[in-house]
Amino acid sequence: MRIVHYVNQFSAGLGGEDAAGIGPRVLEGAVGPGRLLAQLLGDEHQIVATIVCGDDYAASNTAAADELLGLARNAGAELLVTGPAFGSGRYGLACARLVAAADAAGLPALATMHPDNPGIADAGAAPVVAAGATTREMRPTLQRVAAAIAKLATGAALTAADGRVAKAARIGRLVEHRAAHRAVELVLRRLGGDRESTEIPVGGFDAVDPAAPVDKAASAIVALVTEGAVVPIGNPDRLESARATRWLRYQIDGMDTLASGVWESVAGGFATTAANADPNRLLPLDAARTLEREGAIGRLHGEFMVTVGNGTSVAAARRFGIEWAAELRKAGVQAAILTAT
Amino acid sequence: MSALRRVVHEVRSVEIGVATHYEQHQLVVGRDQVEGLFADPALAAVRAHVAVPGDRVRIIAPLDVVEPRSKGPGGGTFPGWVASVNRKRGGDTHVLRGAAVLAAGHLPRNQEGLIDMSGPAAQLSPFGRTNNVVIEFDRADGASWQEAEVAVRRGLLRLAVHLADAAVDAAPDAIEELAQPHRPGTPTGGLPRVGVITNLQTQGAFKDVFVYGRSMAGSLPTLFDPAEIEDGAVVSGQYGHPALRNPTYLHCNHPVIAELRARDGQDLRFAGVVLCPEPVEQGDKELVSTHAAWLCRAAGFDAAIVTKEGAGNADNDLMLKVDALEADGLTAVALYAEMSGADGTGPPLVAGPRRGAVVSTGNYDQRVKLPAVERALGGTRLGIADAEATSAVEVPTAAILSALSPLGAGRLTCRSEQQLGGVA
Amino acid sequence: MTIAEQVGALRIVPGRGIPYPSGDPNLPLPAEQAWRRQLVQRALDAVATAVERPTIFEVDVAARADA
Repeated sequence: MRIVHYVNQFSAGLGGEDAAGIGPRVLEGAVGPGRLLAQLLGDEHQIVATIVCGDDYAASNTAAADELLGLARNAGAELLVTGPAFGSGRYGLACARLVAAADAAGLPALATMHPDNPGIADAGAAPVVAAGATTREMRPTLQRVAAAIAKLATGAALTAADGRVAKAARIGRLVEHRAAHRAVELVLRRLGGDRESTEIPVGGFDAVDPAAPVDKAASAIVALVTEGAVVPIGNPDRLESARATRWLRYQIDGMDTLASGVWESVAGGFATTAANADPNRLLPLDAARTLEREGAIGRLHGEFMVTVGNGTSVAAARRFGIEWAAELRKAGVQAAILTAT
Repeated sequence: MSALRRVVHEVRSVEIGVATHYEQHQLVVGRDQVEGLFADPALAAVRAHVAVPGDRVRIIAPLDVVEPRSKGPGGGTFPGWVASVNRKRGGDTHVLRGAAVLAAGHLPRNQEGLIDMSGPAAQLSPFGRTNNVVIEFDRADGASWQEAEVAVRRGLLRLAVHLADAAVDAAPDAIEELAQPHRPGTPTGGLPRVGVITNLQTQGAFKDVFVYGRSMAGSLPTLFDPAEIEDGAVVSGQYGHPALRNPTYLHCNHPVIAELRARDGQDLRFAGVVLCPEPVEQGDKELVSTHAAWLCRAAGFDAAIVTKEGAGNADNDLMLKVDALEADGLTAVALYAEMSGADGTGPPLVAGPRRGAVVSTGNYDQRVKLPAVERALGGTRLGIADAEATSAVEVPTAAILSALSPLGAGRLTCRSEQQLGGVA
Repeated sequence: MTIAEQVGALRIVPGRGIPYPSGDPNLPLPAEQAWRRQLVQRALDAVATAVERPTIFEVDVAARADA
């Protein structure tokens, strides 16, 4: 079977973050991790082409998946494989969106990334095969992928036995007793020595790899972003007041302040009286502009990004974060100040 | 302290009529009397409707919900609003069980929710199972929304007292004795002393809960007489997250207090109630949490169940209290709703405790399909679905009033199920 | 522990309340503007500082008292 492999700029050896903005390109045959994958696949399947795209380009451009899919088809793909993205968010998002587009178009496809990769949700119904957390686990990951490709090529569906990521979905159910009753039961169990019982696991923490500091804010491009739902008055683009599914961007070039009556917050989760009387209380444009003028900020980025945090699922918020990071990096922004409510 | 007796009258049907009247489980609501009770310069008009279980009716944009309660002619319930805070406590309180009065209609800052009286959503809201008197209202020209909101709230409370007054002379269906909490230092018979901490949202206009008629913002946590909560000392003026809302009805019928009372003397001692604000500033959140844990310890609690109102930062209030209690050697359980996305695959909690245990009241994001209904009250459009109010719609559980009740009124929970690939 | 720390935010500048992360409506306008400037200045300090874990960058307590 003719396989097309998708990797990011780093896996293809085209560069690191400096090359994250490059657009799609097609390379002949197997490249980077594809070489080992080709070996593991043996003679029956050939990697005929490798498609490469920079992470920022792929993650910040919603049309990128269709563009990449078109390239894969032109290269004669009968099956598409993406990754391994391991834990990398932008790469994972690109891989996930591409297999979702392929799957929707009827092209057999699979992605591979760590089950905790924040991009995984975008794969939709397309199969994702579990990768390790880091590139150190390249070989066992590709062994699973090669076996999964062989199975997928026969037309069979992948299962958990193939390393397909089984999402643990938390499904709401009506049960016999109301929550207050169950809380009393749980307290009594804990008092009786059972320290493990809980209906939701406790103690989980998100760990985020710290970005390196900027050398000097005085020479950096700094962006303002917020989840406080600051929009032009009247909310012309209909940002949700709760449970955001999207984010927006607004120009602030040449603007010294966010004036009351011109901007407002449509957030549903907190009292907005104070913010609407002075929207700088949610997005500190006036102060940032002054500091820019005085030289404490190299340059303020020309637009701000905004969504609403109120009731927004963690999965959606993670996706916005990946997309914002990609957008800002593409624009050369080195630091962002996020105001959170 | 005097004990309280609930004198229970079971309401099995409700209708609008000429004069308010209660007899043989049937409640008639006098139309003109309702108008008089809502007379206020901030309101141009009110209209009373009935919505009862099984009706194909949808209530759009519900505001507060109140259970009719009165201590007899002259009221005595809802102190700070329609009774003096310094009236005689305890004694008999007449309760129209199975009935509720609620307001519905546009109010800025009210996050739009709904109640269905039939279909799947009726199972999820406590108010899909009550015989409801629904008040629609028009704001008066020149009145502010804040003034209109206060007028509607006061009107609802007056109506609740007025309806319960109609049953004062009727033979009760049940009389329920509510003992005071177990006193610290008295013998426990080897049973653990378990109490409840209830956080009240305190974020200013349209986001506030009142204790004796005043906001709890700026207060420290306090031990509180549960008999006074029964009598409506805690009144909601809070219009955030519909599914995560605690209407006045649920404070009066506080589910955790009820469950603790039910087990009192069997496998625990009901140790008491602590009310606590949900401050907007992190330092204050930490202060009230540490103070609440200290208070529970000083009052001799062995364990506490912790409840909240709202989402996001309210989860931080829960987390801080559970952690403070457990660090102090008390056993803690918190009630959380999950926010794991429509398909349930996202992380369930934004800010969960590091210790203790958590009860799940369901997934905020899970979609519910609602069939079309015959009529709607409170509005003609359902904004969240951008649809006619009566049409078949799909909404997140988050939109169904008190469906994820942080006070534990509902039977929803979530269970982890392995599944392959996309379920979205 | 704050939500910001719990979700893994690495550089955190505490504000004074949920409804106004970069303001304080309890202050007269000039004092509030000074406070906002201090918050942004502190955020700029934070992005120029290496961190390994969630780290809180308080605006100087003395500065708060003056504001």
